[in-house]
Amino acid sequence: MKKSFIMILGFALALTAAPFVEKSHAMDKVTLGIAISQTGRYAEPAGRMVNSYKLYVDQVNAGKGWNGKKIDFTILDDKSDKQTSIKLYEKLITQDKVNLTIGPYSSGITDAVANVLERYKYPTMAPGASSGIIWKKGRKYLFNIIAVAQDYQKGAVHIARDIGVKRIAIIGEDSLFPRQSAEGAVDWAKKLGLKVVLNENYPRKQTDFTALLQKIKARRAEAIISNSYFADAAAQIRQLRELNINMKIFAGTVGPGLPKFAKQLGDTAEYVLGFSQWEPKPEILKRPGMRAFIAAYEKRYGAKPNYHAGQSYASLQIFGDAVAKAGSADRDKVWKTLRTMKTTTIIGPWKVDDTNLNQHEGLTFQILDGQRKIVWPKKISEVPYKLPMPNWKDRGKN
Amino acid sequence: MAQNEHLRNFGMLAILIIILCALPSNINLYQRSVIMFTMMYVVLSLSWNIISGYTGYVSFGHVMFYGIGAYATGILVVDYGWHWIPTLFVGVFVSFVVSLIIGFPVLRLKGPYFAIAMLGAAEGTRVVATVWEDLTHGGEGIGLPNIENSFETYFAMLVVMLVTIIVSYWVGHSRFGIRLNAIREDEIAAESLGINSTFYKLFAFALSAIFPAAAGGIQAYKVLYIDPETEFFILVTIYMKLFAMFGGKGTVIGPILGTFVLYIVQEITWVKFPTAHLIAFGVFIVLVARFMPRGLMGFAIDKGWARKGMVH
Amino acid sequence: MQEKAEIRSKYWLAVFLVAAYTIPFAVGIYTENVFFDLQWLADLTTVILNGIMQGGVYAMFAVGLTLIFGVMRIINVAHGELVMLGAYLTWMFFFYVGVDPLLALFITLPIAFIIGLLIQKLLLNAVVGGPELTPLLITFGMGLTIIHIVEAIFTTDYRTIPYAPDAFQLTETIAVSRSKIISFVMAAFISITVFIFLKIHRIGKAIRATAQNADVAMVCGINIFHIYMITSGLAAALAVAGGALVSIQFGFNPETGVLYTLQAFAIIVLGGRGHYIGALIGGVMLAVIESLISFMIPNGTAMVEIASYGMMVFVLLIRPRGLMGPKEN
Repeated sequence: MKKSFIMILGFALALTAAPFVEKSHAMDKVTLGIAISQTGRYAEPAGRMVNSYKLYVDQVNAGKGWNGKKIDFTILDDKSDKQTSIKLYEKLITQDKVNLTIGPYSSGITDAVANVLERYKYPTMAPGASSGIIWKKGRKYLFNIIAVAQDYQKGAVHIARDIGVKRIAIIGEDSLFPRQSAEGAVDWAKKLGLKVVLNENYPRKQTDFTALLQKIKARRAEAIISNSYFADAAAQIRQLRELNINMKIFAGTVGPGLPKFAKQLGDTAEYVLGFSQWEPKPEILKRPGMRAFIAAYEKRYGAKPNYHAGQSYASLQIFGDAVAKAGSADRDKVWKTLRTMKTTTIIGPWKVDDTNLNQHEGLTFQILDGQRKIVWPKKISEVPYKLPMPNWKDRGKN
Repeated sequence: MAQNEHLRNFGMLAILIIILCALPSNINLYQRSVIMFTMMYVVLSLSWNIISGYTGYVSFGHVMFYGIGAYATGILVVDYGWHWIPTLFVGVFVSFVVSLIIGFPVLRLKGPYFAIAMLGAAEGTRVVATVWEDLTHGGEGIGLPNIENSFETYFAMLVVMLVTIIVSYWVGHSRFGIRLNAIREDEIAAESLGINSTFYKLFAFALSAIFPAAAGGIQAYKVLYIDPETEFFILVTIYMKLFAMFGGKGTVIGPILGTFVLYIVQEITWVKFPTAHLIAFGVFIVLVARFMPRGLMGFAIDKGWARKGMVH
Repeated sequence: MQEKAEIRSKYWLAVFLVAAYTIPFAVGIYTENVFFDLQWLADLTTVILNGIMQGGVYAMFAVGLTLIFGVMRIINVAHGELVMLGAYLTWMFFFYVGVDPLLALFITLPIAFIIGLLIQKLLLNAVVGGPELTPLLITFGMGLTIIHIVEAIFTTDYRTIPYAPDAFQLTETIAVSRSKIISFVMAAFISITVFIFLKIHRIGKAIRATAQNADVAMVCGINIFHIYMITSGLAAALAVAGGALVSIQFGFNPETGVLYTLQAFAIIVLGGRGHYIGALIGGVMLAVIESLISFMIPNGTAMVEIASYGMMVFVLLIRPRGLMGPKEN
């Protein structure tokens, strides 16, 4: 009995030892690590980012490499879970001993992981996080690339003022990123003299917005600023139609930017505003290297890259530049270079301020004839916006 | 039970403590984290075991207390500037009070109704944590200051685990535990023998509520960012249940063994098969419930590898 | 003595329900969300009507849960996952084969019936009448498996089926969504058909007999294991039909099932466990309360979930029989 018991214990201990085998790396490679959601709720946008990473790494390895060294890329799956993600970054840092790391997807997970990275002084690109609050905590090693969440609705609120809207309703999912975006929208509305008649959140799993939309109608709002992801934005615009509630503006954040938004909703998606960090439109944005990237991405994955893909590709470009300028993949040198470096990526110029924020400017687009057309800021607009949105009744007639 | 058997059990525990104390300075951060989280799940599954294993009242909502502990630490550290260790006691106390308030009515329900009422209570607590923004910062979550030290949390979790093991052991070997077992086997008969079942159930429930709160608090201090969705995540309850059931509910060694084996197995497997391992977990619960309801320890007892008394 | 407790619990339940309906109004008036002009009353009517329509669909999948419970005393925690599965089946037929979501029912319902039959035969038949918790854990594990298999195939993306997107204008100011009306009518039709089947058909009678007393039914020559399997198949079919009706209104992903399980459970607790008509009424009541909370309480949409959890816990405590359930023994 004793023996068998010791056997069971021994078995357990043997299993315990298994994850503790340390990896050793060849010196002629630069190791790059990331833990990102391949399963779970963020799998979709994160998947596009992974596509870009793989594309970049293969391109570089097929060419000269970073300072002549090939990149050894490790991708782990964080299951869209914070605790797992922290463990994985600890694994990347202390067990796999990678040279450089890239941040995970979503602001919440990045905020949690950033602490580990900070402690181990890992300069990290964060193309998957946009909540400004992450950079308000005095962090030095996490580098921002994209426009912060507070500015997602900047364009929509400006447009609302321009077409004479007075009363707006702000709604959003109850989690870090949408709430930051809502906060920004409230600030902009205040600056531009618009009245916020309703500012509410709904839980993540909400699919029925009937009562909320009816409430917005009862408050006599003229525009809806929806800080949403895909599913909720799609449900909201669809239910507006089903209830025959007419708004002058419906502005989403992440949702309308996904190709499937216009595809799944058909003509219901028309006239919806959305925000994007970047669009695959080289003739308008005119960033260097855009055409080549878009062509390569399309060739490999059979679809045009969206902004998630663009910004993650850009983050590796920045790393590449920094490694080249620093002359090695030594973390301290790379970090010092990143702090002062100025470069240009496929999504635009990049240079951080003291708080590691980059001043990337996003853009607002409108869905017209099923296509995303840039309408704001004016200097890069493709077409003038068509607003206010026509009444549901009058649609389809012309 | 024989005196020397107690001695031997404590001897084994002492060996475990020595190993766990010696480990952290010899291993890296990731390995410390894995062991820390393993110990956390030992605490959770043992606590779940106190109410569900001994009395048979299967709780589907124990994550509630874990979440309360996490929030107590988060709120007090961030908004009131406390040191993190005293916040654990506040979390434990709040959890204790909540367990009494909820336990008193809910424990009147039997079997599946108790299970589902607990599920409702846990989900309800999550909604409260989301809506009560002044206190909890709502869905935006709380970011804790970055001063965590993996040794601190490791040893704090070790202490909590030891207390949980000792209390579980005491429950298993005391008159109290025997009465809980009597309630599990036949509550009406137990009452007719003069056992005040309401009191015993409530006491067991409160005991099972306080350790998850402490574990939740330490965990919050470790991960440094908490929000309602993840702190009241139903998967945490699933893990507690699965680990305890796999090891053998109603025993002390069972949940410990179950956690060590399953948590580490999943730690190894998910790196390679992210989705498959979750499917396997579902199948696993079905198989354990259907064919091995008493878990590994039950199996060991049937085979004569372990004596029945030893595990109680 | 028992009579008195019985009557008292009835009053308490009435008080609870009245409170549940008036609190949203009270909070609404207090926070100036209630205006009482014509426009607002029209909005309120719209909300309530939409709630009732929604309730019809809730009721339908709750009926499946209550049927299993009534016959076998098993709570199928994977019921919501079957609803989710139904939504995916409908979506598959719509996108890959091009079948209209409602016509797809002719294909999906037999599939669902067989799935239910198999689940019963392989997993649950052996544990009916045993300890109550074993089936609970088994169905729970089953639900987890279904979620992650669907996730492996379809990922966690939300799917929607574009279907009948327009409004149905009742009056100048009151509009109800067309897809909701279609769903409601279908739900009512299916629920009533099943109800008539239970009342009239030989097998339906056998199911009811088994629900009343399995031992007596067995003595009367009913093969109760067959009845169990048919019941399970029927319940799965109802869940999948619910999923089809959900899929034409809302987006869904593999994780949405859990919510439906909890809602369905709250409904059958309110209606009375095992009571068919009770579940129908309970479904409509829950959906209307949810709509009122969302419509009148500030930030109410975030609190909607409390309705079902609160309902579940309170009704279980006040009056475990619910509105019309059989007496506990």
